[in-house]
Amino acid sequence: MNGIHDTGGMHGLGPLVVEQDEPVFHHEWERRVFGLFLPIAAMGTFNLDEFRHAIERMGASGYLNTSYYEHWLHAFETLLVEKGVLQQTELAARCAQIAQETH
Amino acid sequence: MSTNHNRPLSDVEIRVKALESLLVEKGLVDAAAVDALIDTYEHKVGPRNGAQVVARAWQDPAYKARLLADGTAAIAELGFTGMQGEDMVVVENTLDTHNVIVCTLCSCYPWPTLGLPPVWFKSAAYRSRVVLDPRGVLSEFGLEIPAEIRVQVWDSTSEIRYMVLPERPAGTEGWHEAQLAALVTRDAMIGVAKVTHPNE
Amino acid sequence: MAINREQAVAAASRGASTRVAQVIAARFKVGDRIRIRNINPVGHTRVPRYIRGKVATIERAYGVFIFPDTHAAQAGEKPQHLYAARFSARELWGEQANPLDNVVVDVWDDYVDPI
Repeated sequence: MNGIHDTGGMHGLGPLVVEQDEPVFHHEWERRVFGLFLPIAAMGTFNLDEFRHAIERMGASGYLNTSYYEHWLHAFETLLVEKGVLQQTELAARCAQIAQETH
Repeated sequence: MSTNHNRPLSDVEIRVKALESLLVEKGLVDAAAVDALIDTYEHKVGPRNGAQVVARAWQDPAYKARLLADGTAAIAELGFTGMQGEDMVVVENTLDTHNVIVCTLCSCYPWPTLGLPPVWFKSAAYRSRVVLDPRGVLSEFGLEIPAEIRVQVWDSTSEIRYMVLPERPAGTEGWHEAQLAALVTRDAMIGVAKVTHPNE
Repeated sequence: MAINREQAVAAASRGASTRVAQVIAARFKVGDRIRIRNINPVGHTRVPRYIRGKVATIERAYGVFIFPDTHAAQAGEKPQHLYAARFSARELWGEQANPLDNVVVDVWDDYVDPI
């Protein structure tokens, strides 16, 4: 698809920002998202090309306004719901429960 | 799962906890496997692996020949294998060509030798511009490539993973492999820097 | 069944190549001049817009790999040859580019036409 992910040759996608001595992860949630990739892939529910396409389908503004590991999280949620492994309603309910417990 | 927080969780933190907890409860994911993978890629796999490959290639012409002919096999000789490095190609900087790596479509990167990619490598800014204006982007990294030297950009659109074999800096003749490896930076193996002698 | 920590670490260090052990006659060889097809599929594809319709030279021939366009659609692996195609920067970007510079992009057989 001719999506925003196909960046090659575009102008205006912001300044190049290079962080010195950058850590591997910036937040604990990034660690968890990264660590989930292989175990979820090992479930055999989707392949890497479907995973990439799920990121491409997230839409231009969402793609540009979220970070790399948020892209991964979006793809996990999208594909696991589409494939029937999880229900959107149970994800939403669990989010609401966690928000209440930790607010 | 700890609920002992001194600030409300962000939406993304909540979503991650929700996802992981549901998958663990359903028996689909083992949290210990998640922990082990984080530990592996945060502490064990990283650009020091690639630096060993480069230093070996500088020291051993036969190894360098194998590395350029079959990167995957030669890198595996040093024990570096796995996810996002299943099919490796090493491209050599020469007197007339400087190589630089990008993935314009996502953020493909050779994990076994370089570890996980830095944020700038994954940024739309780098991915969009390095194919269009490589010399301008390299200049922003402080690397000026003379006009008579070719810049060759490798866009990793497939499952081939690329890594640059940088030039060995002058004045390092007779150095041991470990000394050489200590000079090699991640950025030099992506191609946005050169390896320099410590006295430079 | 969830994979445990030993299985996860072993799977990570093993990886999963998308190379396919299937003998298929290659349409192109290193040095051949090619043109990238001007295709605009709505599904997943790995042919970036900036090379569509452009002329290149086969720089490397990698052998047979899974085709992502069909694989992403659960429409099969459609194994085919993968190449590295070398474009002059001027072919892609015009006169503003340094005449020496190149961009090399991996392309599957289905993206390529002979010249």
